[in-house]
Amino acid sequence: MHNKDVSKQFLDNRHQLVTVSSELKVVESDNVIFYLDKGSDITEFHPFFYTLTTIFDELETSHRFFCIQIEFLGKRRYIDIQTKKSIENQEVYVFIEDMTEHYKNVHQIKQVRNESIIQFNVVQELNNQLEVQRGFKNKFLANVSHEIRTPLNSIKGFLNVLKVSEVSKEQLDIINIVQDSSDTLVTILDDLLDISKIEAGRLEIKNRRFDFKSFIDVLRKTYALRAQEKRLDFDFEIGENIPNFLVGDRLRINQILINLLENALRYTHQGSIKLNISTSSRNLRRIPITFEIIDTGIGIAPENLERIFESFTQLEKRGLFGGSGLGLSIVKQLTGLMESELEVKSVEGEGSSFNFTLTLGVSHDQKSKIERDSVPLIALPDKEIKGKKKKKKRILYGEDIEVNQLLMTKLMADHGGYSLDIAKNGEWVIEYLERYPYDLLLLDLTMPVMDGFDAATVIRNHSNKQIRKIPIIALTARTTQEEKELAKEAGINAFLIKPLDQKALFETIDRLLNRYKKKKQEED
Amino acid sequence: MSVSKKIVLLGHFGVGKSSLLRRFVENTFSENYMVTIGVHIMKKEVAVENDAVTLIIWDVEGTDDFTKYRSSYLMGASSFIYVFDATRAITYSDLKYNLNHINEKFRGIPVHVVGNKVDLVDENDLLKELEAQEIKHSYLSSAKTGKNVELLFQDIAAQLVTHAQ
Repeated sequence: MHNKDVSKQFLDNRHQLVTVSSELKVVESDNVIFYLDKGSDITEFHPFFYTLTTIFDELETSHRFFCIQIEFLGKRRYIDIQTKKSIENQEVYVFIEDMTEHYKNVHQIKQVRNESIIQFNVVQELNNQLEVQRGFKNKFLANVSHEIRTPLNSIKGFLNVLKVSEVSKEQLDIINIVQDSSDTLVTILDDLLDISKIEAGRLEIKNRRFDFKSFIDVLRKTYALRAQEKRLDFDFEIGENIPNFLVGDRLRINQILINLLENALRYTHQGSIKLNISTSSRNLRRIPITFEIIDTGIGIAPENLERIFESFTQLEKRGLFGGSGLGLSIVKQLTGLMESELEVKSVEGEGSSFNFTLTLGVSHDQKSKIERDSVPLIALPDKEIKGKKKKKKRILYGEDIEVNQLLMTKLMADHGGYSLDIAKNGEWVIEYLERYPYDLLLLDLTMPVMDGFDAATVIRNHSNKQIRKIPIIALTARTTQEEKELAKEAGINAFLIKPLDQKALFETIDRLLNRYKKKKQEED
Repeated sequence: MSVSKKIVLLGHFGVGKSSLLRRFVENTFSENYMVTIGVHIMKKEVAVENDAVTLIIWDVEGTDDFTKYRSSYLMGASSFIYVFDATRAITYSDLKYNLNHINEKFRGIPVHVVGNKVDLVDENDLLKELEAQEIKHSYLSSAKTGKNVELLFQDIAAQLVTHAQ
């Protein structure tokens, strides 16, 4: 069969037929697309043709190669090649089809597709790196927080003890300063943890019914006093149509307002601070409440307005006035979590105004007080209530750190309503519980030999019913939600974070003892 | 003695196969990413002691699914170079799976694993990551700086000559 005959099968100039010998020399070519000299080495034309050597060695007589790029006369062409081996002549027929136009279109599509996939991969990699860094940061913060909280617990506790002992006026002033500094440290730790929780998506907004008016009243009184101390005016306005009882996250609303009010106090040196609370709605189910904090402080330059919400940002001049630089970042993120937007207006040298609107639920019950509001904040020891000496409740405290043991002993001794035994690890806790009857267990979660989680699990599965049912309060510097949940799973009834709040400690002890007593009476 | 040997560059798209080839053959580099479709073939003669080897290098269109490679592109290969992008973990996360496929289909043909674009990463971090994923690599290269490119092809050429003898 001659080339001419074969090429007749093709109707345009996109096809070429070449016959190649086993020495890879051009035997014949119709040169429709490429010019090939007879007798020339075809591999010199293009290195693809080295592959014909393999074809001569192959048993298969036919092969197809798609989309081969060939540079010819300065132009890139894309060709498909089909080879057919002639056994009788020891030659290979090479059918070349010029597919340049078709593959150019394919190229364009793939260029766009691949670029976008690569870009997506790069963004994904960056996200992964950020996730790793964020995870590391959160773990680091949790560990640092734990390490700092433990000594801080004893500092704060002993300061309280020292304060009620016989000290001079001068010493009392010093104690107050140290106490303020420890409170600031606790606030910074809490802020750091909140930031990491928000970033990790672990901070939940917990909406509950609360006495909004009373809550705001406490804030008003506190900041009126704080402003007075700085010789500033404190103006306050609240809309009359705002109901008393609302449904929302009191703790987080408090955190937002405190941060904004503290911020206003910190940067205002003359004039006033104003807190406005209003609503435009009389809806019976949900109402938008607008909070506005206005100050006549140093103000913020327009170019810095966005930056103030970044963590650890303290504008040069503002940095002179203390603070961790976390407050506004927390406020911004918390308002975001509550589906609100924090707006700021400011004129440098004249003052700033921060405002946000929260949509809160309206409680259907606007009359009754919450029961626990009527309970005194610090429960008095039983002996003082009854006026006669009662048998002291016996408490066991599982704690390995001596300074914490000492502090608890002192707190209990001052309170006078309880007797305290101390066990230095989880195993000792179990041992003591098996030997003596206790009314309640205070448990540190981080202890050697057997930690608090394991001890609680053993207790809750104990064969002795008295031991199994004992109320347990975890006292810990561990603050993550995950740890709280683990504690709950282990059967721990309450969770108090170090540094211990004395009021909360005795309140929780009384609450659990009362609940336990009631349950026992019901069972009997 | 002069022999010609076919080498095929494999790997995901955008890992720098064409850039490695251009750096080796033409000593050029471009930051612009240009997709390879089908196959682009270049050759270069490499001296190995007293011998010369003509490397016929097939730069095949990238894919993350090695089972989709056209067998006509891979047939007759004396060596494979598996290139991954050191900046994109996705280009080496399936490396073991793809290597198994190649080793099964082309028994006895050596595969050289090359991590390219190392100029863009911290090499220590990359090495830790590769170790964690139990990925054994032959070279860490950069087509941009030329790092290990010449060495890679020289070593392959030397190996092919030794093998041919």
